[in-house]
Amino acid sequence: MNRERLQNLIPVLLILVALAGFVLQRTGMLTSVEGLLVQASTPLQKAMSQAVTRFGEMSQTVRDLRDLRQRNEELEAENANLLLEIVRLKEIEHEVVLLRDLLNFAQAQPSLEIEGARVVGRVIGRDPSNLQRYITLDIGQEDGIAHNMPVVTERGLVGRISQVGPGWSRVLLIIDASSSVNALTQSTRASGSIQGQPDGTLVMHSILQGDVVSVGDTVFTSGLGGNFPRQILIGQIVEVERKDYELYQSAIVEPTVDFEHLEAVLIITDFEPIEDTTEEKQ
Amino acid sequence: MVTIYLVVPVLVVIALVQATVMPHVAVWGIFPDLPVLLVSSWGLLRGPGEGAVWGFIAGAALDLLSGAPFGAATLALIAVGATAGLAKGSALQAHVALPLLTVFLASILYDLVFLFVLRVAGDTVVWVDSFVRIILPSAVLNAVLIPPVLGLMRWLDNRYLREEMEW
Repeated sequence: MNRERLQNLIPVLLILVALAGFVLQRTGMLTSVEGLLVQASTPLQKAMSQAVTRFGEMSQTVRDLRDLRQRNEELEAENANLLLEIVRLKEIEHEVVLLRDLLNFAQAQPSLEIEGARVVGRVIGRDPSNLQRYITLDIGQEDGIAHNMPVVTERGLVGRISQVGPGWSRVLLIIDASSSVNALTQSTRASGSIQGQPDGTLVMHSILQGDVVSVGDTVFTSGLGGNFPRQILIGQIVEVERKDYELYQSAIVEPTVDFEHLEAVLIITDFEPIEDTTEEKQ
Repeated sequence: MVTIYLVVPVLVVIALVQATVMPHVAVWGIFPDLPVLLVSSWGLLRGPGEGAVWGFIAGAALDLLSGAPFGAATLALIAVGATAGLAKGSALQAHVALPLLTVFLASILYDLVFLFVLRVAGDTVVWVDSFVRIILPSAVLNAVLIPPVLGLMRWLDNRYLREEMEW
């Protein structure tokens, strides 16, 4: 076989090898090799991520200095308002604790037991493709992390553990197009399914036409389906799309989590999700 | 001398940079695809065979760092390298627009193959929205960035990498 014919065969051979890799991974035969390689690349990813974060912080500081004066005045005014808000919220918190004890609220709210079982993981990498929304964390099975565990920040729901290795784990973000989360609006209890969009926004689908959905309403996880705990904040409705001839209405939801600047997340380790038997990831 | 032992670590580092650095330089939510730029440049300079080899190595490294099933980026980048390599012998080879057009189309091809593999693996794929909001802007961004990348690769090729790749 001459050299030119061999050259022409190379792409075909490589495609066959890639397809074999695809099949091996789908059948789980590649897991240990993959885990080993990802484990080996984790320190490099971590070092690069830290360098980028430091550089980002430096350039951010320079930018911040420019409008520091104006922001300072705004923040002082905001601070005064927030102090008043804190006093008001502390009163509400006290009232809530009292009512919870009286109604045995804790038993019906597993989310209250979650707090002590969270593990903090740092984001060390993102998905290299524009088409997917994943993050990689620097903790894994060794830290008690398991497949399907919900991931949150103090601002709300982030996603779910989709892959886990000894010292790393990967999170499928709720803004990924293949993610779906059952949700509930706070004020009217309208239920629907939150799905990620290719541009990173969220849409709440399958809201019954009769349900009242309004702009500004906050959206929480409903707990339906058993994939996520109840009452984790997801976002706020910014637009409602309703057509009389359709069975359902939908709403665009602005996530409360800033997915572009995620640096640390919390993993809920004591929640046992119901195993997904379908092909879907979430 | 370009050996496989040199190309593998270089492309693995590029994949790491793509996963850690590039998401921070996103323009309107879209960031450049460094592996697509490098693999298509190499295809343009060396033809479909070497383009496909670079695509295979860079794709395998990306698949390990990505949440996508193994094979998604590998198959997509093999296609990119081989397709870009076909432009090498074209009559328009010297035309300034050829690399721009090649990378624009190769970038679209990369994303479509990637999404196709995701679909085969059972993921939900929103074809039209993905095409309009991500694939097209990403192809434009990659096409805009190809002249400096191709210039650098050409310089490296002339200066250090003149010989064919050795196995």
